[in-house]
Amino acid sequence: MVPRYEYGGDEFIFVELAEEMSLEVNFQAMAITKQLKEDNVPGIVDICPSNASYMIRFKPEEIHPDDLISKLKELEKTVSLEGFEIKSRIVDMPILFEDPWTHETVMNNRDRHQDPNSTDLEYAARINGFDSKEDLIQAITDYPYIASMIGFVPGLPWCYQMVPREQQIEVPKYVRPRTFTSERAFGFGGAFAVIYPVQGAGGYQLFGTAAAPIFENEQRLHDFKDSMTFPRQGDLLRFRSITMDEYKKIRKEVEDGTFRYLIKEFTFTPQQVLENPKAFSDDVLGRLYA
Amino acid sequence: MIKVKNPGLQTTVQDYGRIGYYDVGMPPSGAMDKYSYTVGNLLVGNDENAASLEITYMGPTLEFQQDAFIAVTGGEIPPKINGEAVPMWETHSIKAGDELSFDFVKKGARVYLAVAGGVDVPVIMDSRSTYTLCGVGGMEGRALQAGDELKIGNDKKQEVKEGTSLPEEYRLDFSGDNEIRVILGLCSYRLTEESKKRFFEREWSVTTEANRVGYRFKGERLHFVEREQPFGAGSNASNVVDLGYPIGSIQVPDGVEPIALLNDAVTGGGYVTICTIISTDLDKMAQVKTNEKVRFVSVDIEEALQARKEYRDTVEKVRQFVAQ
Amino acid sequence: MADKVLSPLPGIFYRKPSPDKDVYVNEGDSVKEGDILGLVEVMKNFYEVKAEKDGVIEKFHVENESEIEAGQEIATIS
Repeated sequence: MVPRYEYGGDEFIFVELAEEMSLEVNFQAMAITKQLKEDNVPGIVDICPSNASYMIRFKPEEIHPDDLISKLKELEKTVSLEGFEIKSRIVDMPILFEDPWTHETVMNNRDRHQDPNSTDLEYAARINGFDSKEDLIQAITDYPYIASMIGFVPGLPWCYQMVPREQQIEVPKYVRPRTFTSERAFGFGGAFAVIYPVQGAGGYQLFGTAAAPIFENEQRLHDFKDSMTFPRQGDLLRFRSITMDEYKKIRKEVEDGTFRYLIKEFTFTPQQVLENPKAFSDDVLGRLYA
Repeated sequence: MIKVKNPGLQTTVQDYGRIGYYDVGMPPSGAMDKYSYTVGNLLVGNDENAASLEITYMGPTLEFQQDAFIAVTGGEIPPKINGEAVPMWETHSIKAGDELSFDFVKKGARVYLAVAGGVDVPVIMDSRSTYTLCGVGGMEGRALQAGDELKIGNDKKQEVKEGTSLPEEYRLDFSGDNEIRVILGLCSYRLTEESKKRFFEREWSVTTEANRVGYRFKGERLHFVEREQPFGAGSNASNVVDLGYPIGSIQVPDGVEPIALLNDAVTGGGYVTICTIISTDLDKMAQVKTNEKVRFVSVDIEEALQARKEYRDTVEKVRQFVAQ
Repeated sequence: MADKVLSPLPGIFYRKPSPDKDVYVNEGDSVKEGDILGLVEVMKNFYEVKAEKDGVIEKFHVENESEIEAGQEIATIS
């Protein structure tokens, strides 16, 4: 498909690069928006890369929307993934699967779900061809994800697993969205895993709860000193299944203000991922736990 | 200090908004009716980004503990000082010990209380605006509560004489038709031609879910062009691969009940967006009440930019009027 | 002399605390100042409409679960 350039009223331009999700298109959105940032175009207020699209907020008094569209079309032609480097972080994200909190939400919302007779995890395992929910958890935790978009609410990362298409897990969203989702819930919708930063509405399948926060408005923890939100687009996140004991230990560290994410700085290129996602993922995990 | 005796239904501290953090998912918040908010600040001689109180449907009761200049602008929620009605769109002097309260809402949905010097709460990410969902900004990240004490700040530029009254021609008129102008686009290709037509033909009625996050409308079901859902989007015909939502964009989850996303809305998600309210008409949208009807009118980018220019010219005229 | 009870808000008017409960008050009931007569739902809030004086509910002018405008008459108390 040809990318669509659309006005979002008089202050936004929305560019849909592709209708379907892929690592290639996500890298393309990243590369174009990075170049746009470096070009320091006057009148631009926000540059928001997303999964298979991106969005620009601008001041039309300083740049006419049609001039901005021309500029973006130019970037689409000239920006290449060749030589594009992503300065990233590899992060260990401890998740308690089948935790009591999201389980309660799951059970309270069966009337909004495709399959009222199983849990979200059982349902997702079945429709993705896994023999058990344990196998699904293994598939989710075996390979790292790229934070392909940040948004919805502050800091929420959409995470896309770095595996070939045929290995991707895909699940529908709830038939009717829930009015309640607990803070730090780990969910899955479409081809994306997410962590809900704060309590609120939501429509993703719920599998567990993250032990550590991804949004902290008081900015007490070390990893939040510069920003209330932790994840950044391009981060490589590994979801690791933990026990209730480890969960409690991390919660105590968070309360004491001593918790720090396990982070490794890492720069990579799209080619490294696209040529051999499996080898890339193994390398990422090796670096994280080295 | 201003003491909050009764907070009203939902009174929040708002300024021009938290601009420039959309990429981390932080919505701008800020005054929903920017024109009324801006004129309020002008009428008390404030910096145009000074924080005011945004009052929705039912006003608060406030006791001033120091002398101040105030102005109330926006819809019509008539203000009273010590029980005596005072006009809106006018600079008033209020004395220590005076009580400011409000009558029932007559027109519109919101008014702004500007206080000379502005409401002083901590600046968070360049703004004093309240974003209640995440507890950011304003009075401890929430709407006002009884017993709160608001400090008056120093965001004042000039003196404006008591009794300065905004000429009629610069005041908003809410007796209108509730026509909201939008630019069709975004993922509107997902709607059938018939549904696109129906969206603009019919009236939509505002539900009780109409707040700073968004307005939900009742009308009829809209239909999507049949397709095999693209990879990653989710199975519902209204699902798209999660993308950014412009402020003012209108989405239609499952084809039922369109939702206009406003100042405190989510910044992105997986539902088809079909059009965006133009920036000048966001002010108008903010003054539409639950149970009222609106009609959406399709305009092109040039008309939106022209409306924007006229809006800015009007604000400039008000600036000059106040400076006289 | 009859006093009008007006809705301060636009929204949906409810005469019951929840769908499976009885109405707060019936026409002909005596009420005291501060008694709840109904609820108005708007913006995910439920605002309690209260009697502003002692008296008898003469009439409700709004049906349960119907749309209501700000300033609209809900009931009369005599």
